[in-house]
Amino acid sequence: MKANWKFFFLAALVILVVFPFAYLLLLSMASEWRFPELWPAYFGMRNWEQVVSSETGLISSFLVSTGISFSVATMSTFIGFFISRGIAYHPYKRTITLLTYFPYILAPVVFAACLSYFFLKLGLFGKPVGVFVAQFMVAFPYALIFFSSFWGEKTKSYEELVATLGGNQLQAFRKVLLPIAKNMLIICFFQTFLISWFEYGLTSIIGVGKVQTLTIKVFLFIKESNFYYGALSCCLLILPPVLLLYINKRYVFNKLI
Amino acid sequence: MTISEPLSLKNKASNIGFIFFGLIGILPFVAAFVYALLYSFGLVGAANSGFTTEFWISTWQSGAFIKSLVYSTVVAGTSIFISVSIALWLTLKFRNELEHPILAFAMYLPLAIPGIVAAFFTFQLLAKAGFFSRIAYAFGWITEARQFPDLVNDPYAIGIIATFISIVTPFLLLLFLNVYKNERVDELAQLSQSLGANKQQTVWSVSLPVLLNKTWTLIGLYFIFLLGAYEVPLILGQESPQMLSVLIIREIKQYDLSRLSEGYVVAVIYTVIVTTAAVLLFSRKNDVKHEG
Amino acid sequence: MDFKLIILCLLFWSCGDQNKTVEKDPLLDSWEEVTKASEGTTVHFMMWQGSPVVNEYINNYVIPTLKKEHNIDLQIVSGQGPEIVQMVMGEKEAGVKNSQIDIVWINGETFFQLKKIEGLWGPFVQKLPNATYINFDDPHISIDFQQSIEGMESPWGMSQFALIYDSLEVPNPPRNLEALEQYIKAKPGTFTISNDFSGMSLLKSFLAELSGSPNGLDGPFDAEKYEVLSKKLWEYINRNKKYFWKEGVTFPKEHSKMDQMFASGELSISFGFSEGAIEEKVNRGLYPKSTRAYAWENGTVLNSNYIGIVHNAPNKAGALQVINFLISPEAQLTKADPNGMDANPVLDLQKLPEAWRKKFEELPKRKYGAELSELSKNAIQEPAPEYMIKLYDDFRTFVIEK
Repeated sequence: MKANWKFFFLAALVILVVFPFAYLLLLSMASEWRFPELWPAYFGMRNWEQVVSSETGLISSFLVSTGISFSVATMSTFIGFFISRGIAYHPYKRTITLLTYFPYILAPVVFAACLSYFFLKLGLFGKPVGVFVAQFMVAFPYALIFFSSFWGEKTKSYEELVATLGGNQLQAFRKVLLPIAKNMLIICFFQTFLISWFEYGLTSIIGVGKVQTLTIKVFLFIKESNFYYGALSCCLLILPPVLLLYINKRYVFNKLI
Repeated sequence: MTISEPLSLKNKASNIGFIFFGLIGILPFVAAFVYALLYSFGLVGAANSGFTTEFWISTWQSGAFIKSLVYSTVVAGTSIFISVSIALWLTLKFRNELEHPILAFAMYLPLAIPGIVAAFFTFQLLAKAGFFSRIAYAFGWITEARQFPDLVNDPYAIGIIATFISIVTPFLLLLFLNVYKNERVDELAQLSQSLGANKQQTVWSVSLPVLLNKTWTLIGLYFIFLLGAYEVPLILGQESPQMLSVLIIREIKQYDLSRLSEGYVVAVIYTVIVTTAAVLLFSRKNDVKHEG
Repeated sequence: MDFKLIILCLLFWSCGDQNKTVEKDPLLDSWEEVTKASEGTTVHFMMWQGSPVVNEYINNYVIPTLKKEHNIDLQIVSGQGPEIVQMVMGEKEAGVKNSQIDIVWINGETFFQLKKIEGLWGPFVQKLPNATYINFDDPHISIDFQQSIEGMESPWGMSQFALIYDSLEVPNPPRNLEALEQYIKAKPGTFTISNDFSGMSLLKSFLAELSGSPNGLDGPFDAEKYEVLSKKLWEYINRNKKYFWKEGVTFPKEHSKMDQMFASGELSISFGFSEGAIEEKVNRGLYPKSTRAYAWENGTVLNSNYIGIVHNAPNKAGALQVINFLISPEAQLTKADPNGMDANPVLDLQKLPEAWRKKFEELPKRKYGAELSELSKNAIQEPAPEYMIKLYDDFRTFVIEK
């Protein structure tokens, strides 16, 4: 009896989790779905076909988003990895780590609003590279915090061992540290990829609507009450993370945010 | 550190690293803060004409800021409290069942949904012409859309809180399950029961304290994130009071150019609050632990 | 290390825009020069993107046609009103020589603010070959929110603000404030005012009615008059807002939300520019076929909307070419199609060549929406921009936050 109750509850939980995905997919294939109809008047591939054929710009948004997120993830993971070492071994480690949190905890949209003057001044406003720099400013501290637990007595002793055996630092990194960190590097890459992929507020301000990533598109469709296209862009937005989950669920679980 | 020769080289490399860190990690933050501070006192900005405290006074007097702060705190606090409760309950009640492969995968699925999509989805579901309203209509509970209860853009922030919970709970659940395993709470619980504690006592004085003690920094961090959330309250909130980020951006982007500074006043106060909270959270002994 | 940091900081501060290209002022050139200089360039157009029909017109007609006929890439940047002003002002503060945008779609209150910060480039309108088809003696064209346009912005469309209702559900819609009060008391929860441009336009009609005449708000901004009238207005709204949508505790942020709620029957009265913009929505089946539009008894605002060139537009030649295209007979004809964007042309049919005039006259008539010529009997001029800016602020202070 008791086991039964648990079973139904958990089954309901699974349905609850799957429901949003199913509903968004359904909505993306719907059209002319008026209140109080339970089922849309049109249901089919029309919206999806239009995405490919017409000027909605969703495909290019997908590419822009992919490009920016990929660069942000690559740069912040690698630079974060190397710089986090310096911080971890630094005598003022704790203070520096605390400083790292500041740009990370501030609402990105507020951060961007106060920074936009400097981006304008540097000619980075409204450009993909500006959005990249801005997102990097948030993803990079994340990577630093992420890797801070990697460095410690163990890595130090490895490095010393390499040094005593006559190896230089480059070798220490290539032959020892990077291989040990491989898994963390992959996870950090996907995490920072998602930070960038999901980012809206900062992008909307620094990109001024010129850099139309997918989240910006979702918002535009919401604004014009075009829910079908909105749902469609949502589907595109959640596709990569779902794929990542399928490959390895640890890629998506972010224990910091 | 054992050999002196590569030390200078090492120092150089780490110096470049620190400069880069300062340039990307610290300088922008300081620059943004100083700019907002100057703007709030009328020292920069095309529509401003020199030092004045009027914006600080008018922000204080209008009351919109205090309302927004209280509103944001209550919304974020309620969401966190409910999320933590649900996640703890699920952890303690279902931790064994959740190891089933299907459930283990399903638990991770919500992580693929960003705030903006969650807010959009909530709106589609809970609006007066939304999915639930249609079901209510089909069952004859309502005869018109307007009879459906207010669940989005509503005065009690039900839509916002529901969305926050749906975003935060999955994270917390995974976190608690992790801690439960890593800290061997099971063994501790068994120990406490063998020492004569009953189930209730074990949960309240062993399992819960261990779980919360290991995670409270992260829970605090989530609270700070929700306090500054933007997309969700932008889509699901009402026009007044608004959550902090929405208020700040509205004031910074308003029509009346002579009053932009008021937005920066709020931005400055918000930044001070959040950084203070961060200092309090992280300057304790409790370092954030995470294993990759 | 500190020293190096300081140097880097200085670098961060000092390197402004790299591409400081000084462009020759195309105003000094002939139109052939403009055409030549604009070919193969990109023009950035910051505009409101809140309407599917407008987006459809731009994305599927304007952009491809410009590419084909003039080899110009038109890029749309989302933004309106305050965002445009902020953008231009931010660039001014930072001393940016080449703006992110070239042209902007604006209304009187944005025109007013852009003029105040000297954010517009011009005068340029007389330079456009297609400007000869526009009747600048029409005050609804040459006067924007009580300000003379002085060639600093080109008219693009003209429309009247209208209220809309379902004639089956509401046989006798309210046409003045008194009737509205009775109406919402009888049907509580079915009316609201969006906290945006459209909503403020409705409030202007209300304010004009309180002034006692359709011309009550004409002329320059009168602070004293505003104080007296707006006090009455807020008193009226606060007295009745418990009968508004959601009991008046909140108001929709965007007008598109009101359209949705009208479509689902949550609201029984809505409103909008382009004479209510109902044609396409009825055709799409979003609104019932019994939807009708009407004007307020004391009048609703009739205005033009305009396109301006920002002072630091990097591609002024391209901007001129694009604007000239947008006011060309062919672009205006497509824009006027009731099955498309359904917008009144700004061109004077009498000034058009015979063949074009015929085409305009042969356009199908609206099936559901009212014609502008009919509605404009109850039209008022746009009051001075300060009214709008004040209404925005005060609606928030005295109604929303109350």
